[in-house]
Amino acid sequence: MQKFMIIGERIHCISPVIRKALEERDPEPILKRAREQIEAGAAYLDVNIGPAEKDGEEIMQWVVQLIQSECDNIPLALDTANKKAIEAGIKVYNRSKGKPIINSADAGDRIDNINLAAANDAMCIALCAKEGIPSDNDERMMYCQQMLERAMEAGMDPEDLLFDPLFLVIKGMQEKQVEVLEAIKMMSEMGLKTTGGLSNVSNGAPKELRPVLDAYTVAMAMMCGLTSAIANPCDPKLMEAVKTCDIILGNTLYADSYLEL
Amino acid sequence: MAYTKVAKKYSGKINEVTLGTGDKAITIGGRNVLPLHHFDGEVGNPPKVGLEITDIVPEDWNDALKDLYSDVIGDAAKWAKYVEDNYAPDFICLHFVGASPDGANKSVEECVEVAKQVADAITTPLVVAGSKNDEKDGELFAAVAEALQGKNILILAAKEENYKTVGAAGALAYQQKVAAESSVDINLAKQLNILMTQLGVKEEDIVMHLGSAAAGYGFEYLSSTMDRVILAALGQNDTTLQMPIITPVAFDTWGVKEAVASETDEPEWGNAEERGIHLEVATAAACLVSGADAVIVRHPKSLQTVKNFIEGLLQ
Repeated sequence: MQKFMIIGERIHCISPVIRKALEERDPEPILKRAREQIEAGAAYLDVNIGPAEKDGEEIMQWVVQLIQSECDNIPLALDTANKKAIEAGIKVYNRSKGKPIINSADAGDRIDNINLAAANDAMCIALCAKEGIPSDNDERMMYCQQMLERAMEAGMDPEDLLFDPLFLVIKGMQEKQVEVLEAIKMMSEMGLKTTGGLSNVSNGAPKELRPVLDAYTVAMAMMCGLTSAIANPCDPKLMEAVKTCDIILGNTLYADSYLEL
Repeated sequence: MAYTKVAKKYSGKINEVTLGTGDKAITIGGRNVLPLHHFDGEVGNPPKVGLEITDIVPEDWNDALKDLYSDVIGDAAKWAKYVEDNYAPDFICLHFVGASPDGANKSVEECVEVAKQVADAITTPLVVAGSKNDEKDGELFAAVAEALQGKNILILAAKEENYKTVGAAGALAYQQKVAAESSVDINLAKQLNILMTQLGVKEEDIVMHLGSAAAGYGFEYLSSTMDRVILAALGQNDTTLQMPIITPVAFDTWGVKEAVASETDEPEWGNAEERGIHLEVATAAACLVSGADAVIVRHPKSLQTVKNFIEGLLQ
């Protein structure tokens, strides 16, 4: 098995600093977060520019080129509801360190993003949901199947799809947690790669508890076969869990200094 | 249906390390496939074979070898030159058996003098091996690294006990190459590489000495360690394990019963020199297919046979 892949989540327009930097085309705040996440162990960086209805294409091209040129062509996940912005981003994307990831398609209105990925030889996050939260795993797996078929018809390699079971908040949806883990297990047993917005699980919990909830969730999810997560690599507790699980699962060879890598 | 050739692809690649200077400098590593699997991808630099000599007359060596070298065996520099002129190994390993506190206990100064004379006598790349005493070797390697600055030698080897001295002096202060020795302990192999790089030694200045064993004497442990290291380096793209591997086959094979027992004691086993060569060649070949990028042998016939083996497989 390959090492668990962290897609760094911290370049997100929900952060006021990043939103301002994107608006004003100010490189420094964005590069700072990019470098911090790479240094902490992110293999990919998610770049969320929001809906970006007005000047999405221009923003995406600017930010893709900025991060890649300054950070040794780190591979990126392009995250926006604006399809044209994703296409524009891919046009200027450097593939030397990995394909772009489109974040994301779902089984509803955004299923065409799978075709967009296929047409551009990109990877795609496939969110197993249609409208709102799937009611059970039958529904989840039906969406998973629908998106897998759509991708195969478009000529995509299933390896290029990252299925997202949709992690749910623990505080409020505690009874759904095991179901999500079981969904990951089913997808893994089908040989599929998986990912998800891990920090969803700790939403609304006190700040000091969030790393704990995230770390234990990732450990249990990795046991079920989770292969990557969109998460905060600058959280030491989370990274400790990921690195240790990689050792226990044999994804990487043990050495006394493994946490320092 | 037509046959479609499937190549096994790996995401990782073994680093390239250069030893020596000038026309005779050699480079090892550089492949992104299993050892000698040229049909799968980039096989990198062909494995290299070195010949062992010692700083003092090696009393415990096989008599036939001592006879072969009788004119030069008392002078390491002459011996090195003789080996270079007559057998043209890819590199020469100067083994400081005389430095051992349990043996001749030559001083560091005496050893450095020998190292300088040897290095001046030859243009072939030089590998310097120690006495198995960690403390003495630490001092010896630091002094030799300084004296031979600019020769781009390989120090064999830094261990967990002395890597700071050897790494700091050898690679950082005097820009030599350093082997990290881990005695068939896969986790230590990775750990030593991490510690050396944390010390500031560049990845391309490190070679791994994963341990050695004669065929029939726990060799399967060495072989499986090499397999696991190489699969992590290539398959998991583990950059802490992508250093090329050197295996001093000579140090073990000539010490086991099959090579040592005299013909008088074991008449049915045949000629002792022949036996030693057979064991050395078999072990060296097994190391090369397991993943060694360089091997050290003692007998010139082993050198020739192993070179032919490599050429034959890479044709």
